Amino acid sequence: MKIIRKLALGFAVAAATHITYAADTGFDMQTVDPEADRIALQNYYKSRFPDTELADYVNGIYSVDADSREQWVELEEFPPYEFDVEKGEELFNIAFANGKGYADCFENGGIGIRHKYPYWNKEEGTVKTLEQEINECRVKNGEEALKWSKGPIAQISAYMAWTSRDKVFDIQIPEDDPRAKAAYLEGKKFFYSKRGQLNLSCANCHLQGSNIRIRADLPGPQLGHVTHFPVFRSKWGELGTLHRRYSGCHRDSRSDPLKPQAEEFRNLEYFQSYMSNGLVANGPGARK
Amino acid sequence: MNKGLIIAAVLALAPTFAAAESFQNAFEMNRAMYGKGHVFTWQGKQYTTQHEEEAEAAVKATKANAEALLDKAKAKNAEVAELGYEWKLTRGLLKEAQTAIDEGDYQKALNLAAQAKYHARMGIQQYHYAQANWHLAVPQ
Amino acid sequence: MRKLSTSLCAAGLLAMVTAGSAIADNHDDQIALGKAVYLDKSRGNCISCHTIADPDANLAGNQGPPTLSMKTRFPDKRKLRAQIWDASKNNPLTIMPPVGKHWILSEEEIDAVVEYIYQF
Repeated sequence: MKIIRKLALGFAVAAATHITYAADTGFDMQTVDPEADRIALQNYYKSRFPDTELADYVNGIYSVDADSREQWVELEEFPPYEFDVEKGEELFNIAFANGKGYADCFENGGIGIRHKYPYWNKEEGTVKTLEQEINECRVKNGEEALKWSKGPIAQISAYMAWTSRDKVFDIQIPEDDPRAKAAYLEGKKFFYSKRGQLNLSCANCHLQGSNIRIRADLPGPQLGHVTHFPVFRSKWGELGTLHRRYSGCHRDSRSDPLKPQAEEFRNLEYFQSYMSNGLVANGPGARK
Repeated sequence: MNKGLIIAAVLALAPTFAAAESFQNAFEMNRAMYGKGHVFTWQGKQYTTQHEEEAEAAVKATKANAEALLDKAKAKNAEVAELGYEWKLTRGLLKEAQTAIDEGDYQKALNLAAQAKYHARMGIQQYHYAQANWHLAVPQ
Repeated sequence: MRKLSTSLCAAGLLAMVTAGSAIADNHDDQIALGKAVYLDKSRGNCISCHTIADPDANLAGNQGPPTLSMKTRFPDKRKLRAQIWDASKNNPLTIMPPVGKHWILSEEEIDAVVEYIYQF
């Protein structure tokens, strides 16, 4: 069996050496160009779905599939997330035991800031998400952290998104800290890498597979993918965060799924949100 | 027809990466076309389409052998987890293998451990493939 | 896994060859297994992406090409088997999971799917 192990190692080394040859424009720290990525993605969708206006991609699958759009427009007349936005506002305004509140932790009292998340935090050297800072605000003020995926944290996030509707996403990748660009690159790489027993990348379904049926489901496009989160998903029967969806997708590839707010997911959110720059925040959303 | 001998001969024959790769191609093509237990010829020698792990499970079904293969499978899975490419069902297979050992069904344990180890090995291969090729999927 | 265990228990190739002809004797059973694998979400779930003219196949997806004219498209049944075993060999970006290479289905299940779809 020793020989077998050597052989396996041989493959690993052979594969590793390919990395150097693979370096092409936009795939390593020297060449990665987020703006070029964003334009290329928009052009990809322009040629894929020439009838869809760019601004409409915030509506996900409903921007490209007329049939399901009709049902969705009806659904939006009495939005299923309405209760959650109200509940979120209530929770947002309840003071902590120390008398402080969420408004004290965020710029502009937490109103109309959703479209600035996630952002690169230079001091901490990491990507920060809105949900992460909601919990950090709690902990800093002596409260317990909330569970990441659903319930109160999703409701508070939904309220904050609601107050930010129609603000244009403006995710920055600061030039003065190369780690920010590295985080973006990691997120981009995560999106396009095949993983799990089913050998699926995010791109398999949400880029090349956009609007093509998987059984009765239509995967949404990657452009505008994150603008409407958190979402009330009919399949869940409740509201959930973006990272809840990430974990579910990751599991669907038959990977051992990462936990919400894992660094890989935050980098992915950073990449995906940058791709949505120029589009408006329209969360919370309703999805099948 | 001794499987062990054929496989040992196969692997000794792979002196360079290029040769290893083309053996891997030949192996996969034959496994893909014929399933397991098929005999094929590569560079003048005969081999079977049996996975390394299937050979490891084709030992005497004893507690010691089952435990040894389970340990190897666990180690391999720890390796792929470290790379962030662990598969969803592998830990379940490892647990089932342990249960089979506890119940004295050593052949079942060997088979499950073999599958788990294979999954982990493929996950590692998948990781390296992704590192080298992920860029191919990006729209330009 | 049941079948896999059986084959692994087999001491050598001879036993596998014998098992192979036993399967051939039960071609109808094999086709029934192939159909079950094709339709079952937790097994092959081929229906999620490939339409097929089987009255029991409802709401098939269309990520992949329809399962039709298989004999014309794959005169060599072995090539069809290989395509199912690892579709990423011919198209590295494919959405189709490598059901054989990643041991998602057993080799016996793959043989059964080949027999099932070869009728269409």
